Amino acid sequence: MSLQTLKVLSLLLSYPEAEMLEALDEMAAVVEQENLLREDHKKSVLALIGSYHGADLMDSQERYVELFDRGRFLSLHIFEHVHGESRDRGQAMVNLLQMYEAHGFEMSTHELPDYIPLFLEFLSQQEQAEAMTLLHDAMPVLSLLGARLTERGSKFRAIFDALAGFAGEPEALEEIRRQAATEGEDETVVYMDQIWEDEAVSFMGAGDACKSQTAAVSPITITPRDQFVKAQNRSH
Amino acid sequence: MSHFLDRLLFFKKKVEPFSGNHGVVTNEDRSWENSYRSRWQHDKIVRSTHGVNCTGSCSWKIYVKNGLVTWETQQTDYPRTRPDLPNHEPRGCSRGASYSWYLYSANRLKYPLIRGRLVKLWREARQTLDPVEAWASIVEDPAKTAEYKSIRGLGGLVRANWEEVNEIIAAANIYTAKTFGPDRIIGFSPIPAMSMVSYAAGSRYLSLIGGVSMSFYDWYCDLPPASPQTWGEQTDVPESADWYNAGFLMLWGSNVPQTRTPDAHFMTEARYKGAKVVVVSPDYSEASKFADLWLHPKQGTDAALAMAIGHVILKEFHVERQSPYFNQYVRENTDLPFLVMLKEQDGYYVQDRFFRASDFLGNLSQDNNPEWKTVAYDEINGHIVPPCGSIGFRWGESGHWNIEQKTVDNQEVKLRLSLIDTKDDVTSVGFPYFGGSEHPHFTHSAHDVIQKRNVPVKKITLADGTEVWATTVFDLLVANYGIDRGLGGGNVATSYDEDVPYTPAWQEKITGVKRQNVIAVAREFATNAEKTQGRSMVILGAGINHWYHMDMNYRGIMNMLMLCGCVGQSGGGWAHYVGQEKLRPQTGWLPLAFGLDWKRPPRQMNSTSFFYNHTSQWRYEKLKVNEILSPLAKPKDWQGSLIDFNVRSERMGWLPSAPQLQTNPLQVVRDAEKAKKDPIEYVVKSLKSGKLKMSCEDPDNPQNFPRNMFVWRSNLLGSSGKGHEYFLKYLLGTQHGVQGKDLGDSGDKPSEVEWHETAAEGKLDLLVTLDFRLSTTCLYSDIILPTATWYEKNDLNTSDMHPFIHPLSKAVDPAWESRSDWDIYKGIAKKFSELTVGHLGVEKDIVAVPILHDTPAELAQPIDVKDWKKKECEPIPGKTMPTLVVVERDYPNTYKMFTSLGPLMSKVGNGGKGIAWNTETEVKQLGELNRLVTEEGISKGLPRIESDIDATEVILMLAPETNGHVAVKAWEALSKITGRDHTHLALPREDDKIRFRDVQAQPRKIISSPTWSGLESEQVCYNACYTNVHERIPWRTLTGRQQFYQDHSWMRAFGETLCVYKPPVDTRSIAPILGQKPNGNDELVLNFITPHQKWGIHSTYNDNLLMLTLSRGGPIVWMGEVDAAKVGIKDNDWVEAYNVNGALVARAVVSQRVPEGMCMMYHAQEKIINTPGSETTGGRGGIHNSVTRATLKPTHMIGGYAQLSYGFNYYGTVGSNRDEFVIVRKLSNVDWLEEPSQAANQQEEV
Repeated sequence: MSLQTLKVLSLLLSYPEAEMLEALDEMAAVVEQENLLREDHKKSVLALIGSYHGADLMDSQERYVELFDRGRFLSLHIFEHVHGESRDRGQAMVNLLQMYEAHGFEMSTHELPDYIPLFLEFLSQQEQAEAMTLLHDAMPVLSLLGARLTERGSKFRAIFDALAGFAGEPEALEEIRRQAATEGEDETVVYMDQIWEDEAVSFMGAGDACKSQTAAVSPITITPRDQFVKAQNRSH
Repeated sequence: MSHFLDRLLFFKKKVEPFSGNHGVVTNEDRSWENSYRSRWQHDKIVRSTHGVNCTGSCSWKIYVKNGLVTWETQQTDYPRTRPDLPNHEPRGCSRGASYSWYLYSANRLKYPLIRGRLVKLWREARQTLDPVEAWASIVEDPAKTAEYKSIRGLGGLVRANWEEVNEIIAAANIYTAKTFGPDRIIGFSPIPAMSMVSYAAGSRYLSLIGGVSMSFYDWYCDLPPASPQTWGEQTDVPESADWYNAGFLMLWGSNVPQTRTPDAHFMTEARYKGAKVVVVSPDYSEASKFADLWLHPKQGTDAALAMAIGHVILKEFHVERQSPYFNQYVRENTDLPFLVMLKEQDGYYVQDRFFRASDFLGNLSQDNNPEWKTVAYDEINGHIVPPCGSIGFRWGESGHWNIEQKTVDNQEVKLRLSLIDTKDDVTSVGFPYFGGSEHPHFTHSAHDVIQKRNVPVKKITLADGTEVWATTVFDLLVANYGIDRGLGGGNVATSYDEDVPYTPAWQEKITGVKRQNVIAVAREFATNAEKTQGRSMVILGAGINHWYHMDMNYRGIMNMLMLCGCVGQSGGGWAHYVGQEKLRPQTGWLPLAFGLDWKRPPRQMNSTSFFYNHTSQWRYEKLKVNEILSPLAKPKDWQGSLIDFNVRSERMGWLPSAPQLQTNPLQVVRDAEKAKKDPIEYVVKSLKSGKLKMSCEDPDNPQNFPRNMFVWRSNLLGSSGKGHEYFLKYLLGTQHGVQGKDLGDSGDKPSEVEWHETAAEGKLDLLVTLDFRLSTTCLYSDIILPTATWYEKNDLNTSDMHPFIHPLSKAVDPAWESRSDWDIYKGIAKKFSELTVGHLGVEKDIVAVPILHDTPAELAQPIDVKDWKKKECEPIPGKTMPTLVVVERDYPNTYKMFTSLGPLMSKVGNGGKGIAWNTETEVKQLGELNRLVTEEGISKGLPRIESDIDATEVILMLAPETNGHVAVKAWEALSKITGRDHTHLALPREDDKIRFRDVQAQPRKIISSPTWSGLESEQVCYNACYTNVHERIPWRTLTGRQQFYQDHSWMRAFGETLCVYKPPVDTRSIAPILGQKPNGNDELVLNFITPHQKWGIHSTYNDNLLMLTLSRGGPIVWMGEVDAAKVGIKDNDWVEAYNVNGALVARAVVSQRVPEGMCMMYHAQEKIINTPGSETTGGRGGIHNSVTRATLKPTHMIGGYAQLSYGFNYYGTVGSNRDEFVIVRKLSNVDWLEEPSQAANQQEEV
């Protein structure tokens, strides 16, 4: 049936509210019983849940706003890290919406479709295999966020580690980790020239541009934006 | 082998080449194309624009798919212009094109946010107390307020829900009104034209409860005081299409391609039909590359250049030869023929005031306002006459306020320009000269400070029998420009090569511009104007208006234009574009915006004086009055600090006040009633006796603090707050970078203001900001309310640059928890109405209003300035002190009033600029359109204003510009005053009524109205003062003409009767800190210039990755190669720029563009992106305004005097900032201050 653990992770990544504090035990129980996560991941998720016991809600909220509500670095919107301000973002969100609809879900909040807690809630309603596939597509971005949180020594990393354990790590994980370890406050700002540099258009030997695009378009294709931008370059 | 067998006879291959082998038919899978097809599919296209302060008002198509905005493109369906005139479209720029990013950006504000420490205190208090008491329990406890005020700007925000934030805001407002007075609730929002309903939402709420709306145009220093001084009109300018009609275009301190991007094409297109373009700019700006001639005077010396050009024009086209067109133009349209009195002083004569009819026997038969009627000689019969049109004819009589060449008894007159042919004598008149004052960074030109020059005069006998000398403004003007007319005496030049002020040779030393270029430009400018009847135009802007003596820069240029008959002529005139505010349907909007349908008058305040006062910038004032005083004035009569002059101005009723009285105005009325006195009489008496004080006299007294402040549609702290660090320290009470010492140790303390040794800090109890992005102002706020973006709300937008009215449209619902400004204030009003019960009911408030322009009160103080406080006269409201009005506040009904059009529109009518008309029909029609309120209560039966669209319809229905019937009524009303029929200007469009849905269908051209001085017609482009010249409607000045001469006694004292050159002032912000905080790198002092930028509109778009990518990705300061080399700075180095006001950190852009001696930091760059720490302050580097401090100019405080009477965003002190210098040096250590602030958060990092 449903994957309640993913719902728990969704809650943990949402803005902390009093309602969640009341459900901490229930959340911990689900993680224990469903046993979806690797043992070490389970432990750190339980620790994260446990950290709310006795904590001042407002302090938790301040920290959450400080971490996730300010700027793009740790934005919880997947496409912020994929498309940023590019025009493709609108269409990407539309695709995602359509995928939710195809699975029989309609959004009931003012949130955007690429909000990670929302995405996780959706996955929690899917069959495991389907959820794993969809989640795996998002892992490059999720791993980047996880690595950035790790660099900050944040407890929230537990959520992303758990997701990686569940869906499998993305291919270039080491590279992502290295990036997070060495990058400054906001890579996209520091290295914007490199990221945005257009490579010269090469007309000769450009390869079969049309053919390379006949591959099936996945409902969500999610790669971090520097790789994404590189991939956009024609001579690549 | 034979090919025969290979060749098919009955078939051909399906894959055949075509088009000469260039094409080939293939049959592969093309399903991939579907993704492209769907990529560009959309559900709907909605018209909207960007409500940003750029005056673009560009039409955009917003594409929506599945309820999400996917992209935007430029709309191209503007109505056509005329044959031979290029069209407007496409309009837009790279900044607007990137806007859709903001909607879903990580920087978007998604939820209401509140300072965690504040909400904790609040929730605690709310457990036992009602909301108002809860608020009181917090702000009355200094320990509690310090807890949340001291961490403003340092994080600590949590999400809140609308219910809770509305409750806190309403409770704070009620508490403040009840305890200190409603005028302690302040609202700052700029440029209503960019989204007028959103502006009106906040100002309507504030006005209904008695709060204060703050001005912006003057505060931004975009307001040119020279415009009201000269024309009695604030920034009426030609539309950009009119540039195309010019034959000679000057771009002076205005960088059109960069800052008027969608309009620039009219300038470049004009070149294709032969117009010459001269650009005046110290740096090689983007505009410079379009120039046929680029003049680059030393920054800040433009007046010297303009005076020299004026010297040549005046000499060659008015003195040596009289151009018939110019001669007639200045005679009929300017004050040049009017007579000025000369007064003896120390053995020579000085310029005094205009003669008035009241000076003569029998008042020259003028019974009505004779002291407000100026006089001139009539050439036809040789008599002195009071020609029609002066301001005395405007009020108290009708039919003679026009500028036909006639007297009131219909006698034809021809005013005499010069007395040179009929003179009785020639006398020596002293002219003040300021160009010799020394400045460490500007070249001076030493000459006598009193320039005595000979002027032709006539002797005139006054009513009391005394004889005085008279001359005309023209004769004074010629002498002022230093032109030799053969009258003998010194200080005049016969040749352009003489070093006499104001010859081309004289200016060379100051500006560095070659005299030949000055002479050539002057001749070409004037020759073109003469041949084309005024088609020479000057586009001017911030580059020359942001200086302390901007009036001189501007008047120098205005003089050129007036002397060449360019003002009010197609393709000619003064085109000031910066921060202007052309709210085309203004008179329809005013009632909505300021609640005039329910309560009159509203409280309005000039922001410059307000912030100067309440952010304690006055405590640091180092500019002394005697430094700017005319050498002809007696220093002993002009004592005090600049704040003293402002206080005098406020109490004389010239400038507004906020807060107004030290005692709560609600309490004042209660006290008066208790004493059984008329409240007005009571206030006058108590002020006189000293029992009651004005708030401006003691800004450090807690009774006088502004307590609650709303900021919306604005980034006050990140963009427009001159003296940023003073804001942080005094208004907010948080971490700041102020480096200097206040006047405490010096002997120069103000005399009119109470001095407290320790200044108050953290005056604001609550700062609420509405925005869609996390701006600097948001970071410093206590409550942040997420607003709908420009694609998520309905509103109206207009501009000076084109004649269309344009919608903002709700393409999608507001994302996350955001709401439109209209809905936000409506919500606050609702909560306010609920919570006020038991605290404030129906109350009486006493409102002080300054003497206003365009009202009969502007005839307040005709001859002399008298101060009641000094016992020179009695305090008389509306004459020698502010007007006082008792206004009833119905606090529990605030929401009902907010959401309906009140009864005063039908009862009192509507109007603007001194014209009034009945508007009953429109109110009735609006009721039919918006429907009537059916709920019981005071609003039952009145037209509804529920939604933002309802609000737009109020504006459109009531405004003459969008309702033809109203336009005709307005012109009829004006016709009665002028005695000329003007209705023909609107009759062809009488039945036009523009509705919100109409402007959504296509931008609509507005209808001509007397609110504006130009025409919307099929024949001419909109050009300011067109109806003055062509319809003979007077300018709204003392003489009714364009005024070269300013005769107010404060103008005389500060030497600005006529335009003169004044060098930049010395702000003294360098010496105390130069070399005092060494970091091992060399220091260099540079002039700090803040031009408008290329990669943002002020601070908007500044955090947009696309724009960051195009620039350097963070704050930058431009400097010249030579200067950079002096202190070892290389391109892209991190540098610090600082002075006593504070410090900023940025990367250096080393460029040939910038001349030696100055650096530029684009306005406005915030500290939210890529800003490391400052080595000077130890805190994070500041913004561009961290190194500025406002300095007021006394002549801008004049009031109660015809065109020099106060108007909101019309006249008043301005926040100039370009006379400022900074120390620039390389940063030795780039510290990003990654550690959490000690003050902010001691908890472990998670």
